[in-house]
Amino acid sequence: MAKGRRAADGYDLYFGPVHPGSGNFGVKLTVEGERVVAARADPGYLHRGFEKLMEYRTPMQNAVLSDRLCILESLNWNLVHAEAVDRLCGTEIPERAKTIRVILAELSRIQSHIIWYGVLSKALGFDTGFKVAFGYRDYVLDLFEFVTGGRVYPAGYICPGGVRRDIPEGTKRRIVELLAKLERMIREFEAYDSKTIAVRCRGIGVLELDDALRLGATGPVLRASGLSADVRRDAPYEIYDDLDFEIPVREEGDAFARSIIRRREIEESIRIVRQALGRLTAEPLPPVKPKTAGKLPEGEVYVRNEIARGEAAVYLRSVGESHPYRCKIRGPDLLHMIPVLEHLLVGAEVADVPAIYWSLNICPADMDR
Amino acid sequence: MAAMESERRRAELLERIGSRFDLEPRVAEDGTAWVSVREQDLGDCLAFAKREGFDHCSAVSVTDWPEEETFELTYHLWSYETKVLLTVKSRIDRGKATVASAIPLWGPSAGIHERELHELFGVEFAGNPDLAPLFLEKWDGPPPFRKDFDWRAYVTETFYEEGNPHEQSYRD
Repeated sequence: MAKGRRAADGYDLYFGPVHPGSGNFGVKLTVEGERVVAARADPGYLHRGFEKLMEYRTPMQNAVLSDRLCILESLNWNLVHAEAVDRLCGTEIPERAKTIRVILAELSRIQSHIIWYGVLSKALGFDTGFKVAFGYRDYVLDLFEFVTGGRVYPAGYICPGGVRRDIPEGTKRRIVELLAKLERMIREFEAYDSKTIAVRCRGIGVLELDDALRLGATGPVLRASGLSADVRRDAPYEIYDDLDFEIPVREEGDAFARSIIRRREIEESIRIVRQALGRLTAEPLPPVKPKTAGKLPEGEVYVRNEIARGEAAVYLRSVGESHPYRCKIRGPDLLHMIPVLEHLLVGAEVADVPAIYWSLNICPADMDR
Repeated sequence: MAAMESERRRAELLERIGSRFDLEPRVAEDGTAWVSVREQDLGDCLAFAKREGFDHCSAVSVTDWPEEETFELTYHLWSYETKVLLTVKSRIDRGKATVASAIPLWGPSAGIHERELHELFGVEFAGNPDLAPLFLEKWDGPPPFRKDFDWRAYVTETFYEEGNPHEQSYRD
């Protein structure tokens, strides 16, 4: 993973960009002895120019593209994009479609948090945690495949106008079974804690609240530093206003606090999915058919969502053509992987770098876009 | 109840901004607030918003309008306290696209967006000490997200060989 070069005043150490270790992203560390004295993020390995690509495509085509904004939680990105188009067009979404959107977005959040647990475990040398996590993740992917047709990429299942098609018969029962498995998974994670995650993560990578705000942290990273902020509650979208859930907050700001927050969030997401399932009425939902000749009305919107990693947003500007004139995508990881990570790594021990790195649950895809 | 309180505070805030900068704020159907300020008022308006509790610089964006020879800058600001989303917009001259950095107000969270926009649109942010490229390696072309950058021609010229029959279709 690392390639060293002796420098006059210490060492340059490259953490990444080899995929299994750091995920298509690297950070160049300057090390003196065992201590990191400088860190410089090295992004760009996944830059695909999505914002520009979207200027040449219709919203329905962009819905499929929006999958790729973050491989690890593609349904959440589907939702942000779809909402931006819906609000620009003033489209009313059927209640059933909204509920399905929330169920899938929350399952996607859970799935993303499971990946995070897996890669954090892997980074700490706790291979069992990685395997257990990725085993459970497959149960969620089975469900995604059953509903959307895709395991990782749902091909724009959550699309402008609602969802591509109604959920197949038997989905509700499968989700109920899945949630029971996920509860068992949380208990397993908790049982591992005292000898694994807690030992390596407690007290390291402390992010003070002032710094979190200054550096643009959002989501679990911000909430682990003591600020209770969540777009789902502060500016509710879809049906979140009617749901009862808590926003876990911790004061410590260290890597362990961030890990506790995500585990608690899995529990809250399970609560949300159960409530949403109870609201699913029986009326059938017609499939959304792509409009090939439709035009976006002139205007602009800025739509924010709470995804697993933090605040995601889309700024959509239209001049009345079939394609958006400008689409700006705001992902949480541009902030977490550059200013926040660089700040946290300075002064850290080399051995703590992987723990700090993965405690931020980073995703290069939504940083580079 | 909380929503009503947020609405009231939003209305008060917009009134203050409106009278201070002589403009008419717009409240969209989704409750987000939008203001367009003159270029010379942009810095003051952003500083005013920061003082009013907009602690979170959610994003900074540029929209290119080559026919009008302007760039439109948009600052999307969120207040954790009042739960209001405010977008401050301003048009600047595309020919000399320089604007003061928002780092003194929002720190690196604004700086990183500026760094991206400098690379992709070629906008200068005076006072931002780090405008090094983020994504593109050894790029020597014009800023690629500008509307007048012909990426099809660039790709054809750079990556497809002239006279290669297998790649001729890209040139047709």
